[in-house]
Amino acid sequence: MKRITITFFSIFLAFISFAQTGNSIEEEIKELQKKAKLMYNEGVRLAQDGKLTEAHLKFDAALFILPEFAYPYVERAKIKILNQEIDLAKKDIDKAIEINDNVGEAYYLRGYLKLLENDYQNALTDFTHAIQREYTKAEAYYYRGLMNIKLNDYNSALIDFTLAIDKKYDYAYAFNERGSAKRMLGDYHGAIHDYTQALSYDSTIIVAFDNRASCKIKTGDFQGALEDYTLAIKKDSVFYTALNNRGSAYYQMGKFESALKDFERVIEINKEYAPAYNNSGITKIKMQNYLGAEDDLNKAIELDAEYGEAYMNRGYAREFLGKFPAACADWQKAMDLGIAEAEKYLTECE
Amino acid sequence: MKVIKITIISFLILFTTAQFAISQEDIKIKKSDFRIEIKEVGFRDAWKNVKEGEKLFSAGLGTFPQALEHYLKAYKYNSDCAKLNYKIGVCFLATDKFYHATEYLEKAYLKDNNVTDDIHYMLARAYHLNLDFENAIEQYKAYYSSFSVKELEKFEVGVDNYIKQCKYGMDLVNNPVRVIINNLGERVNSEYDDYNPVLHPNLDIMYFTSRRETEGKDKRFEGDNKFFENVFTSEQAGDVWKKAKLLDNKLDSKGNESVLTISPDGNQIYLYNGNENGGDILVSELKKGNWKSPKPFSRRILSKDKETTIAFSPDGTEMFFVSNQDGTIGGMDLFYSKLDEKEKWSEPINMGAAINTIYDEEGVYWHPKEDKVYFSSQGHNSMGGFDVFVIERDEEGMWSNPTNLGYPINSPNDDIFFKIDENGKQAYYSSVRDNGAGGKDIYKIIFLGEEKEMKLKTEDVLLAWNYKPVDDMFYHDPTELKVDTALFMVGMVTDSKTAEKIKLAKVEVIDLEESKVIATGLTDTAGYYQVKIGKKKDYGVEVTAKDYLFFVTMAQLSQKQVVDSKIQANFQLDRIDVGAKMVLKNIFFETNKATLKEESTAELQRVAGLLLDNPTIRLEISGHTDNVGSYRANQKLSEARAKSVVDYLVEQGVAKDRLEYKGYSFNQPIADNNTAEGRAQNRRVEFKVLSK
Repeated sequence: MKRITITFFSIFLAFISFAQTGNSIEEEIKELQKKAKLMYNEGVRLAQDGKLTEAHLKFDAALFILPEFAYPYVERAKIKILNQEIDLAKKDIDKAIEINDNVGEAYYLRGYLKLLENDYQNALTDFTHAIQREYTKAEAYYYRGLMNIKLNDYNSALIDFTLAIDKKYDYAYAFNERGSAKRMLGDYHGAIHDYTQALSYDSTIIVAFDNRASCKIKTGDFQGALEDYTLAIKKDSVFYTALNNRGSAYYQMGKFESALKDFERVIEINKEYAPAYNNSGITKIKMQNYLGAEDDLNKAIELDAEYGEAYMNRGYAREFLGKFPAACADWQKAMDLGIAEAEKYLTECE
Repeated sequence: MKVIKITIISFLILFTTAQFAISQEDIKIKKSDFRIEIKEVGFRDAWKNVKEGEKLFSAGLGTFPQALEHYLKAYKYNSDCAKLNYKIGVCFLATDKFYHATEYLEKAYLKDNNVTDDIHYMLARAYHLNLDFENAIEQYKAYYSSFSVKELEKFEVGVDNYIKQCKYGMDLVNNPVRVIINNLGERVNSEYDDYNPVLHPNLDIMYFTSRRETEGKDKRFEGDNKFFENVFTSEQAGDVWKKAKLLDNKLDSKGNESVLTISPDGNQIYLYNGNENGGDILVSELKKGNWKSPKPFSRRILSKDKETTIAFSPDGTEMFFVSNQDGTIGGMDLFYSKLDEKEKWSEPINMGAAINTIYDEEGVYWHPKEDKVYFSSQGHNSMGGFDVFVIERDEEGMWSNPTNLGYPINSPNDDIFFKIDENGKQAYYSSVRDNGAGGKDIYKIIFLGEEKEMKLKTEDVLLAWNYKPVDDMFYHDPTELKVDTALFMVGMVTDSKTAEKIKLAKVEVIDLEESKVIATGLTDTAGYYQVKIGKKKDYGVEVTAKDYLFFVTMAQLSQKQVVDSKIQANFQLDRIDVGAKMVLKNIFFETNKATLKEESTAELQRVAGLLLDNPTIRLEISGHTDNVGSYRANQKLSEARAKSVVDYLVEQGVAKDRLEYKGYSFNQPIADNNTAEGRAQNRRVEFKVLSK
């Protein structure tokens, strides 16, 4: 802290001596701008070297010299984000935009902060502003693509991720996300290709194995899917959604014992994960263990009282147990929770 | 002399075991059949078991399970004895583990084709019970063929009905009904026969008939060597039936008895008593919590023959009963009676040939609310033994023809005494099924609605960005203010034939001087693209889109007008159709050789990309030359060049069987061979879409 104060003080003295030179006002402004830009550039270089505290001081100094200089605010905001000073970062970004509406990066950063707050619509607007202001780095398209996905506009997301990849051919994350956009648009083969690309550039993106596996299931390649899920689980033994998905693949292949093992393992890892109880329940129905199924589905509903599918499934388990009024009550509840199919089954209750 | 026993075992008790409608041969296992000469060890004990088994086997069906135990011990000594295998198979057929019978009977036949006269029949029964209808039919036919014409004239062999049952069985098994069938468990069922469940109207007490050994009641019925029938009760506690108990002594006779039904108010109980007048229906009243001694039911109904089961209409004014009294079409039949004005039961009427058959009908039951009557029959389209059927009365009072309740409710064994609840959702009945408690057992049937799809839940993370390091987003390049000199190339991408706008087409702008892509754009849903370019000059442009052939061209922007910082350039793409051709303009070979030059890579990659993006299309790659030189030399060169292209594509991961190559020499010019420019155009490689 002491060192920071001394550094800042020496910069301030330099500024005072400069102010006392007695040049014309125009020249003085030019000098100030020059000096501020120097400070700013020094700050950028320090930040690049990871010397964030020193960089911060340089940006402070630049702003002290020239308070209406937008760029130091932007750079200082980045440091604040890294230091988790989000509110201060926001202030700097807003100030930068207020001073100079053409600084694309300021919009980009603001979009990013809005993304963290799950304010996807405004984040999307900011990323678009950034791109319109020539901030066309791969990340800008990438994050706008993310927002489009979050807002279910998969076609736009696809375009954004493609542009991100065009700017950065080995952008593994963008390949994964584009794969997901394709998947949501029903292009499973295209998605598999993208997930494969993502993994070829960065094999640590484990979700890409999981995602690719799920697309393989859609194309009927269950064996390939099992291999991918297994790779994901090998790389992260507590990746319980991948385990749950592998169990689901086994279920769809009719390998109910293997499926049940996976669902049980998911429950070991995360006792609060309702889908695993749901899946374990329907697997037990297939294995004709209806009482066990009912217990599991009870648990799924206990964890998530709004879990419509679990009510549907518990209804089936109860139907097999001959508990017709209870089964009908479950289907009624499922219908109330928006599972339209339940209505059809309720006719059997009349 | 062939031994033929075609004895129909009488139904002194309510029904018999389906597979023994024609009885088995009681062949004797001789010591010489069984002894293995070189194996003295164990013979004495084994032979003792054979003798014990033979005694129990001869005693009748009731002691077959015990006979089986001895035979199986003896089997450890000699598993190749045909007669022993036969006996074991026959014993298994009489139990609920009938699925083991096939193995032993097949072995008996294998060891000695003539082990008994009825080996084909027993094999047929084993296959039949195990739903192997095709083999069963074959064996029934073989059994039939084993009789001489004289024997066939003398005896009614009666396999025709079994063959029919097998054919009905195939049909029923192929169209199963959706039910769950649960054994009521050992609290209710015993290792002996348990059947005829009757639920109290409150549904909390079940009466049923059992032939289990009971304290002080260990006499066996001579008809089948099984213990006498007794009535048991079990109470329901929640979802569970409690341990069964023998019913009140006052309802107990010294012979066979069975509860048939209870009046809707629960105050009258109807029983069958085998000792009364050839087998009669009795009724007992509940007075002050006690059942009074049973008395014979209406004299109008009862005969010197047998009356077994009875069922009343929901309002109690009509009834069906089962009897072999005068007027029967064959064996036990359904009769109908109703109360007259004087509250007396009318003379019984046989329900006629549409409902009764020459075979037995049994176990009649009237739905508690509806005009539906359930009964079991060995006739109609039974798949074997008794099957459960339903008839329904229409508004005009006519009863429908019987409908088989279907598989798996019905099986080739006896399925009988069916009692359904008023909602039609659950029923109880007696059946012989795999892994029961032993003999006939009581089962609960749960009727399922239509098949429902269960909801599996999968979740994918989908997006990887959560795993992305935060500082990845930062760039520390010093930012400089610039004057905006942006210039855009804009336009539409459309289908060359239909002029339809193509969305998500990729437009790549290539700076030809620097040989690199300087801008990429995608068309939006209106087919419109916009890419930023540096200067107004000529650029290479590559346009690609799903389901279209790629398109490479030179965009001569230097000659175009700039309007609002924009230069217009539209492109048309050819859809991938069978027969579509494309000249690959940027493929280069070393002179007079088939060796590809490095500068061909970009174009070849485009073709590879096209094939990988469209995994179903097949291409013909063709080589063409100008007319300089001999046809033969040019043919060889053109084919070699086409092959080089194919080889390259295969190296890129394209399956070999998706590509064909051909050399056309100078047979297919596309330009004038008399000019240098024309000849250059004719020297080319092109592809044609063979299939997609």
